[in-house]
Amino acid sequence: MSERNDPLRIEYGREVDGLTIVRQSAPAGAASFSATYVGPGGWGFDLPQEAGTARVVNQLLTSGAGRLNRVALARRLDSAGATLTAECAPESAEVTIWGPAADWRKLLGLLSDVVLRPRFETVDLDRVLRQLAERQLREIAQPGSRADRELFRAAYPDGHPYRTSGLGDRRSVSRLTTEKLRRFHQRHYTSGEAVLVVTAPARLPAVEIAATKWFSGFPETRAPALRLPTVRASAPRTIRVELKGRAQVEIRIGGDSIPRSDPEYAAAFLANEVLGGRGQLSRLFQRVREQGGLVYHASSDLEAMRLGGYWTVAAGTGPDRWPKVVPLLTEELDRLGDRNVPAPELDMIRESVIGEMPLALESTSDAHELAVEVAYHRLPGDYLARWPGLLRAIRPKDVRNAVERTMDRRRALTVLAGPLARP
Amino acid sequence: MARSGVRRPKVRSFTLSNGLRVLLAPQASSPTVSVWVWYRVGSKNEWPGITGASHWVEHMLFEGSPRYGKGEIDRAIQKVGGELNAFTDTDFTAYFTTVPRDHLAVPLDIEADRMTRASITDGEVARERTVIHSEREGAENWPEFRVEEELLQLAFRVHPYRWDALGRRRDIEQMSAEQLRAYYRRFYGPKNAVLVIAGGFDPARTEAEVRRRFSKLPDWGEGVEVLDVEPPAAGERRSTLTGPGTTPYIQIGWRSPALTDPATPATMILDTILGGESRLFSAGMGWRGRHEHPTARLYRALVDKGLAVRASSEWSPRAYPSLFSIQAQAAAGVSLDRLERGIQSVVDRLARDGPSAREMSDVAVRIERGASLSYEGATRTGFRLGYFATLRSISLEDELYRALLRVSSRAVRDQARAIFRPEARAVVRYEPTGAAGDE
Repeated sequence: MSERNDPLRIEYGREVDGLTIVRQSAPAGAASFSATYVGPGGWGFDLPQEAGTARVVNQLLTSGAGRLNRVALARRLDSAGATLTAECAPESAEVTIWGPAADWRKLLGLLSDVVLRPRFETVDLDRVLRQLAERQLREIAQPGSRADRELFRAAYPDGHPYRTSGLGDRRSVSRLTTEKLRRFHQRHYTSGEAVLVVTAPARLPAVEIAATKWFSGFPETRAPALRLPTVRASAPRTIRVELKGRAQVEIRIGGDSIPRSDPEYAAAFLANEVLGGRGQLSRLFQRVREQGGLVYHASSDLEAMRLGGYWTVAAGTGPDRWPKVVPLLTEELDRLGDRNVPAPELDMIRESVIGEMPLALESTSDAHELAVEVAYHRLPGDYLARWPGLLRAIRPKDVRNAVERTMDRRRALTVLAGPLARP
Repeated sequence: MARSGVRRPKVRSFTLSNGLRVLLAPQASSPTVSVWVWYRVGSKNEWPGITGASHWVEHMLFEGSPRYGKGEIDRAIQKVGGELNAFTDTDFTAYFTTVPRDHLAVPLDIEADRMTRASITDGEVARERTVIHSEREGAENWPEFRVEEELLQLAFRVHPYRWDALGRRRDIEQMSAEQLRAYYRRFYGPKNAVLVIAGGFDPARTEAEVRRRFSKLPDWGEGVEVLDVEPPAAGERRSTLTGPGTTPYIQIGWRSPALTDPATPATMILDTILGGESRLFSAGMGWRGRHEHPTARLYRALVDKGLAVRASSEWSPRAYPSLFSIQAQAAAGVSLDRLERGIQSVVDRLARDGPSAREMSDVAVRIERGASLSYEGATRTGFRLGYFATLRSISLEDELYRALLRVSSRAVRDQARAIFRPEARAVVRYEPTGAAGDE
């Protein structure tokens, strides 16, 4: 396979009005294409009294664009066999279109309408606000989302974007107007600090021509600045939220961590895979489910963004079993921090991660996700091809050092949400 | 524009003397290979006392055999970068493993072994009992699960479709290891299974390998017809649940035909027009979960009008008559009476007038487009081939596809009239006791 056709190598093209164009080859045999715009439209940019703005804007993007109202847009997508999705995160927001490879140019045009020319119709705003209100309630009511919420509220100070899920509350959302949403869109769906990633059976010049045709004319080319408030080291503590009438207690343990650009990211990544990120191979799964038989799910996650990150351990269990599960989770955290991961175990996890890369190239949408991550973090074009080498250079002591700094169990917060009282 | 039509890769199929049906779908450029084993056993084969046995056996098949010790199946697959999982439904249980193409021998060895030699020891069953229990508890945290479970037992009195594949709580607490072993010995084996291999492999060499590994297995595996026939619905059934939650929720189920019914294509179109999902023929990202469908009738009548924040329909072809369901989550301040009237008005209108010509042509285009993109990736290919082969045969996909494009508006209207009869309806409402449920 030539480098040009290798989905593991992405190509950075020229900028269009400040928008970085990135091209990835579609996996061999793929009949579909994907394109994603990622820009600085996350909820970290919400005004404090207008929390929810970023999420509402992001949702409204798929509710009509250019000359197409929501129904016409849906019909256009259906007739092309395409789908459109929008996602919002603390630091960024993205919109992705997926469809037949043969129609990639036309569909890229449709994506540009969605990103640049949303309609913000009142009827759509009303609907999105109703849906948001229900999600706000659900976040509080469901043990899983409630546990997440309490963990992040305890870990991060007021004004920090990781403190919330960006849904806002009834009062903040009631302040939103179409005018405010338009203004947010204009400032935050910019070309500055934004990337357009295209995974298609096309060469870079063709992608650049199409991107230039469709994505010129951003109203704003400067990227807004996002600064994270200082996170003070938290004292370890346990937060209990009694939610009666539920069947299962959700457990979360976690805290602040590192950004993606941190030099220790690869070691921290492997540490998380050892702990709970590698499914059935991970320690948490093996100890708490396979040996203990105490849970259905037990895992860990390291979320490394541009400016910062956090780590979490998650498990769910019955009201009579959580007192046994929590000590097992913390014991595994301690073991990871106190002792080097045995070399055979680290090798197995590492080779599993590396061996899995072909699975991430099964389809266009799978490969595209990798390219979006590389491009958003401004990693080199051959980063994915070099990733196995980076991982193989990590030694057990590197993992342990990374754990000390990036998954600090001594300051970890523990949250229990659900029917805590034994039945 | 893209070409349309089912674009299935070429399939080489054969049946071993022990009854194992094998489908090989080589995709030369694929970097991966996906191995699926579908057993024609699911919750339909259970009875009160052992509900959830199919799902529990599914778990136990990861727990070892004389050849693979505990945890070794997971390690063998994951250390080569593979992923593995399984799921249990009413009519089937499916196991899948996708690995980089050089490692096909690993899942083949595992599947040949656990097809007849899973250990299912007393100790492992005892340990897994709390895992299964925990999985069920996680589901019970969601009002939607509780409502669906209630709906099934309300709508069916006789047929095994009346319980969820997770099984009843009491049966999970009491089922014995010996009952699970007996269940496994009865229903698992080559005679009741379909093996699908899709992706990057050499077909001739792989066929030889499959014959070598699977031909010597005993011809076990009973394919049992369910003889319990649900009597015709003779009146509406209702139930109301209360519990923690956010806003009120409703699910209505109507008795609907089995896969073999000639009206299956019309029922599938009905589902698409009401809820928006084209399911078996949906374009790509449907694999990753549902999204909103602003052109669907339920969405336009309920979500757009402010009665609901979510509304959808659901119908899947099953071996026996099942349920066509509609579910909706009320918007703040909307009563379930009002929401139910809204749902009824949507189905009444469809039964009275049928879908419009535009709706029919839009659905046809979506099915064509979806079909043309449905075989990207070895994993998805393995799923589709196994699904259709387990339901009947892979030609079912072509027949359904052609039939779907021939369905008339009138046929959809007639099917709406046949299904949405008040006396064939079961309604479950969920009234939350408090917004947050905090105590």
